[in-house]
Amino acid sequence: MEHRLLSVTHSTLREDNNLSPKSAAAVLSLITNPFTSDSTLSSLLEALVLRLHNPNSNSDHQKVLSLLSALSHHHPRLGHRIAAAAHAFILLPSTPTPSLPHALSLLDPAHPFQTDPFSDESLFLSLCFWQCVKTRRWILRNLSKFRVRPSVLITVLLGFTKDPYPYIREAALDGLVMLSNGIVVEDPSLVEGCYFRAVELLFDAEKSVRLSAVRAVSEWGHLLLALKGDKTQREWSDALFVQLCLMIRDTDAEIRVAAFNALGKIRTVSEDILLQTLSKKTLAATKEKKYPGQYTAKLFNIPATAAAFTFVHGLEDEFYQVRRSACHALQMLTVLSAEFSGGAVHVLMDILNDDSMVVRFQALETLHHMAMHDHLKVEESHLHMFFGTLLDNNGLIRSAARKALQFTKLQKLAMFRSCVNGLIKNLELYPQDEAEIFNVLYKIGRTHGKFVTSIIHEVSQELEPSFDGKLSFDKKRTAALLVLAISAPVSLERSICSIPPRIYSYAVTLLGRLSSGLVHVMDQNTLLAYLSHCSKFTVASTSENFEGELLNFDLKNSFTHLWKKSDAFSFPESMELKKVTTPVHGYLLNSHIKATSCVEIVLWKVVELWPLIKLRCMNDVVQTLRSWKEELRNFSCNSRHPAGVLGFALRYLHVIKLLGKAWACYFSQRNLQFTEMGVLEALLHKMESRLKEMLCRHAGLSRGEKLHILELMLVAYTLRLSCGVTSYFEDYINKLKNVLCLVEYLQKEGLVELSHFVNELQNISCEIGHSEDGFIYKLDRLQKSLNLFSLKHIVLSGELKYLDAEVDVCDNEFQNPLPFIPGLPVGIPFDITLYNISSETRLWITTTLGEKSAQFVFLDLSEFGGSNEMRRFTFLSPFFRTPLAKRFSLKVSIAMECLSEDQHFKHCNGPKHELIHLCKGKEVHLSMPVK
Amino acid sequence: MVIECLVLGAGQEVGKSCVVVTINGKRIMFDCGMHMGYLDHRRYPDFSLISKSHDFTRSLSCIIITHFHLDHIGALPYFTQVCGYNGPIYMTYPTKALAPLMLEDYRKVMVDRRGEEEQFSSEHIVECMKKVTAVDLKQTIQVDEDLQIRAYYAGHVLGAAMFYAKVGDAAIVYTGDYNMTPDRHLGAAQIDRLQLDLVITESTYATTYRDSKYVREREFLKAVHKCVASGGKVLIPTFALGRAQELCMLLDDYWERMNLKVPIYFSAGLTIQANMYYKVLINWTSQKVKDTYATRNAFDFKNGMISGGFSLEVFKQWAPCEKNLVTLPGYCVAGTVGHKLMSAKIPTQIRLDEDVQINVRCQIHQLSFSPHTDAKGIMDLVKFLSPKHVILVHGEKPKMVTLKEKIQSELGIQCYLPANSESLCIPTTHHIKAGASDAFVRSCLSPNFKFLKTNSAELDDSHKRTMPLLQVYDDRVSEGILTLQKNQSPKVVNQNEFMEALGVEKHEVKLAHCFRVYIPDSESGDASDCLPSTSRKGSLLHLISEKLCRELPDFDVQDCQEHIQIQSVVVSFCSNEKCPHRTGVSLQSVDKKEVHFCCSWSVADDALAWRIVASIKNLELDT
Repeated sequence: MEHRLLSVTHSTLREDNNLSPKSAAAVLSLITNPFTSDSTLSSLLEALVLRLHNPNSNSDHQKVLSLLSALSHHHPRLGHRIAAAAHAFILLPSTPTPSLPHALSLLDPAHPFQTDPFSDESLFLSLCFWQCVKTRRWILRNLSKFRVRPSVLITVLLGFTKDPYPYIREAALDGLVMLSNGIVVEDPSLVEGCYFRAVELLFDAEKSVRLSAVRAVSEWGHLLLALKGDKTQREWSDALFVQLCLMIRDTDAEIRVAAFNALGKIRTVSEDILLQTLSKKTLAATKEKKYPGQYTAKLFNIPATAAAFTFVHGLEDEFYQVRRSACHALQMLTVLSAEFSGGAVHVLMDILNDDSMVVRFQALETLHHMAMHDHLKVEESHLHMFFGTLLDNNGLIRSAARKALQFTKLQKLAMFRSCVNGLIKNLELYPQDEAEIFNVLYKIGRTHGKFVTSIIHEVSQELEPSFDGKLSFDKKRTAALLVLAISAPVSLERSICSIPPRIYSYAVTLLGRLSSGLVHVMDQNTLLAYLSHCSKFTVASTSENFEGELLNFDLKNSFTHLWKKSDAFSFPESMELKKVTTPVHGYLLNSHIKATSCVEIVLWKVVELWPLIKLRCMNDVVQTLRSWKEELRNFSCNSRHPAGVLGFALRYLHVIKLLGKAWACYFSQRNLQFTEMGVLEALLHKMESRLKEMLCRHAGLSRGEKLHILELMLVAYTLRLSCGVTSYFEDYINKLKNVLCLVEYLQKEGLVELSHFVNELQNISCEIGHSEDGFIYKLDRLQKSLNLFSLKHIVLSGELKYLDAEVDVCDNEFQNPLPFIPGLPVGIPFDITLYNISSETRLWITTTLGEKSAQFVFLDLSEFGGSNEMRRFTFLSPFFRTPLAKRFSLKVSIAMECLSEDQHFKHCNGPKHELIHLCKGKEVHLSMPVK
Repeated sequence: MVIECLVLGAGQEVGKSCVVVTINGKRIMFDCGMHMGYLDHRRYPDFSLISKSHDFTRSLSCIIITHFHLDHIGALPYFTQVCGYNGPIYMTYPTKALAPLMLEDYRKVMVDRRGEEEQFSSEHIVECMKKVTAVDLKQTIQVDEDLQIRAYYAGHVLGAAMFYAKVGDAAIVYTGDYNMTPDRHLGAAQIDRLQLDLVITESTYATTYRDSKYVREREFLKAVHKCVASGGKVLIPTFALGRAQELCMLLDDYWERMNLKVPIYFSAGLTIQANMYYKVLINWTSQKVKDTYATRNAFDFKNGMISGGFSLEVFKQWAPCEKNLVTLPGYCVAGTVGHKLMSAKIPTQIRLDEDVQINVRCQIHQLSFSPHTDAKGIMDLVKFLSPKHVILVHGEKPKMVTLKEKIQSELGIQCYLPANSESLCIPTTHHIKAGASDAFVRSCLSPNFKFLKTNSAELDDSHKRTMPLLQVYDDRVSEGILTLQKNQSPKVVNQNEFMEALGVEKHEVKLAHCFRVYIPDSESGDASDCLPSTSRKGSLLHLISEKLCRELPDFDVQDCQEHIQIQSVVVSFCSNEKCPHRTGVSLQSVDKKEVHFCCSWSVADDALAWRIVASIKNLELDT
């Protein structure tokens, strides 16, 4: 049978006449029959190739080619020979152009021949401009196979966007989208041309063209943005956003989905426009704004109001695909603005009521995302919807709801309570979620410590054993509450310690269940240690001693761990474990070490935090510092101000925290451009004043200590100057120079070795000399010098004395004011106590009324008795500028003139140098006597 | 060519929608509604304006009904059975199914309850509906040889449609009532982007901007839930078909989710029958209903029960109790109990009729669900369709004026709001059918695009900011030539073909200018040499071509011995004393230092030519 068919087909193939449908069917049957022998196939192939190459049989190339492609499809091993034949066919001069696409599709572009038709530009162009629309469409759809210069491709594609045939326009736009991913176009007018051509096609009558146009506008819009300078980039970004917003009112659902997908990709949008997308009414901020683009087929400026209601329309859409896409776009855009997120939350909460599971899920994901960026503000009216999702039929939704919940901050106790109740209800209805629920309870407990305490107190009766002595821990509610209770001691708010310790011992009985829920946070042994520790001590360790090993946790390990996970967002769990468990270990081991040695250890360990600061893992650094501060404070619970070395260490830790934050802020370049600039300046300002205080208010600082503080000051100034945009650039240059002089002076005094960082700064300063604006040209060197800085170990050499003052007015309260007569001076009797202040110190009493400038009264210490360690005296200070009011209050404080600072103040009768306040402002109330 | 638009109803008012549009000689009546507020002759459109002879069948090509609301269909039986219209009537399948119910219900209320004179009988309704042709969505109907109509989904109520009508090249869309945001049971309006001369749109909420529907739903559900939870009863009177379904679905979903067991009762009547149709006509509902249809028909309400009775009777019973709740629709006709409740302050007394007065102490909740689009929706639709003209109907005049201003200023589309009985003419572009020659078709197939860099200075202000510098053109179609020959239909041919067909040669208009240039005799100063020798001429030409090369760097200057050619401009010596192109006074005595140049060029290069002439004339100054 096979042979007979073969011989028949052979004879027909050899003849010159047309291939009849019947014989074509016979060949096809031979090809598709899996039992056809190899020899038959290869002879068939030869016959077909012969016919293909025969210049006389030009009428049925298509048929032969389709038979060949069938052959290649069914018998891939012949593919190579078929490709070779097709290649030869393409090169034949007699080959008609319409058959070319078919022949080309038989080739494998991955295995180029020597004369590769896919790199042949003239072939490509001749196919493009061939009058057959089908050919053109084929070539546009198979662009990726051709290796043609991008400049040629882009021209051809751009031209075809004007084709009268919608399918060609669509294919051309798709081609442009494909092209946009791989090329670099430097000619702005070309990119602009493509972008605006795509924008024009947003108004095409054919919906498939509009769909492709949306994608093209998005892609080329981003290329356009990349070409624009910083100044206009924002405006163009807004223009692109508004342009895409137009498309969400298209009547085709697919286009709406594409439009929302594209909106979600935009990285910067003005807040005004984002807010407009939630409001149907025109907002004042967007009323007059217009952007380049196209509003209708004839209007070439889009008003910003075109964005009105975009997201609400999307979330109200009939098709779940659109709603999901809109939700997703919201997720990307809520990061940009807290105010926008605030508005979006209202709509999103309603979406949790959606009938489509996919949409509910995406809405929860969006909420989760918002919570991660701290943009989620849950209000009481939302709770019903939000916690309702915890009881959803669908496990995925419940899980997503819990995920969103664990980062949510709840403002009120009532809200937190209903959240806990929601979780407990979830647990009761769906016991399979237990582990996850415990985890979430633990996490939200940690962030809402105060609420946890009050809730536990409310329900502590429930947690107690019943009359017959049995604990009702099989009850799910009890277990959940216990998890909540044990989360309290690790809460970030340290003041919670009043949870009855026996509750922790109850929790031990549920160890297995608890640890499976908290498996990501700590292992079972740690949990046990933790629970048994907590159950031992009533009040969380204020009077307890701790020992050195507490701090001896292996920072290096976690450090390398961090290197591996460079993603700053997801902190490795091991890190978290360390944070939680180290204090516990500390409490468990009892030994006595004096405060000073403890301070030494802390100061030694601080240096190890430096790599973490450099990695910008500020959460960990801050938490570690906080725990150390807490431990240090335990030694000084009696005195108001922790004195001496301990106080110094506490202040030092505070400065390091500020430095770390400023450092992280400075090096996260992205934030710097926008809002963080102010934050950085504030941090540096704070750091500067704290450092000054440390320098001035501690008597007995050694040279090394002074140098250390000065170096930190230099870092602060360098950071500030490196931003380049500070408003007091010259002030800070002067400050920097002053500090450098001081350093030089100290260095000359006692031959100390300076760090590379300080040396580099000195070099820079030397090179510049006295020219005023020299630093501006050395900015990059300043910036580089920061890399040289690393935190050193500060060694405290001796006893430090803290300069301190207290000021009080006898029996003066709001209800019991001092009498005065408006317009006449009044004398105020102050009780003043000074600590560690020598008689040479120039002290002033500063009195301020409201925001007005202060009044200064000099305190001549020689007039008062007492020793330097402590002086106590009463001083009647006059206040001259009493206002014409029935009653008023003054703020009084004691300040010390800081002689080392050169800065001159312009108070005529007041201090000449900068002041450092030695106590907090005390409020004094005065009132007209009642007749 | 004009489209004539005669507004018989709903011009600057809500009620009795009826617009007669004449496009290229075809007359279509869109909607044939009645006004519910009048009982006299004003209740029907003034049909006499259509044809004085009252031969409506001949003067109208067809009637198109958008949906089954009485203000859109109420006058139809009267028009067909009493006035005698006998032509085709088109409406969608659901409208055809539900319209008789509505008409019959109305007739009953009018005749049986109010005891009015019958305007049309039940038989009339039946007979009328027999004349109706039902259409499907997006189905193109060829009414006659020239008139095409097509229905698009409009939301609003079950079966509501927008209609597209096209005669020749003039095309319009009549929207009827529509909704641009989806309900629970109906989708949003859906239409293609069409080439339109005119859109006639409703404008019920011409100035209203509605908030998200979620807020309204949540408030409604909260009010109902609160009332039910505290042991009260809720009365939800719905006067519109479809509204009942919407609320039922909403409540049914909520009951399901909240696990409520409180029974819901439907008042027997239209709702039950309509429910049946809704169940059958799933294809006309929202995507959500369609999606869930496979598992459960959303109109099989799980929590509903049915009983007979009228809302008013129930209201009498429930109104005195504070626990109960009555929801009111957003719009109540003046004079009804609903209207009184809306304006009253609870507790109050309401007089139902002369004898009955009831104490109302129950709570009132205003429902603002509306199946009409709001101002933004209208703007969105008009923007999407971008027609050349817009006519607003079905709205209140002051609001319509505001919307009109908005459409004209924001979208730059001409907008009108004709009053009842007013007729409006809208110009349309005149299109003619033309055959195309094979060569022309072939030339159309091949791409022929070019790029142009536009100079931003040439653009006017409104375009300057936005027009890209690079523009694409593809002129393959516009390069044909339209030929109109006697006794033949017009034809578009290719340029080459055209010459051939006429049997003429190609003529080109050329401009020429002959001018005199003073040549300084730099070589010898020999005045006796009367005529410049050939070689000297050559060198002079060479000199000029070099100069031109310098001055016109963008152009290709060809020096061809006898003449210089730049594009189509040819510059050569002119020795013909009587050159017809020569300008200026020809002096009797020929100055030997003078040479004449003759230039010729085609129109396209006019500017270039004059530059060249100026440049050659400057030669004498330069040297």
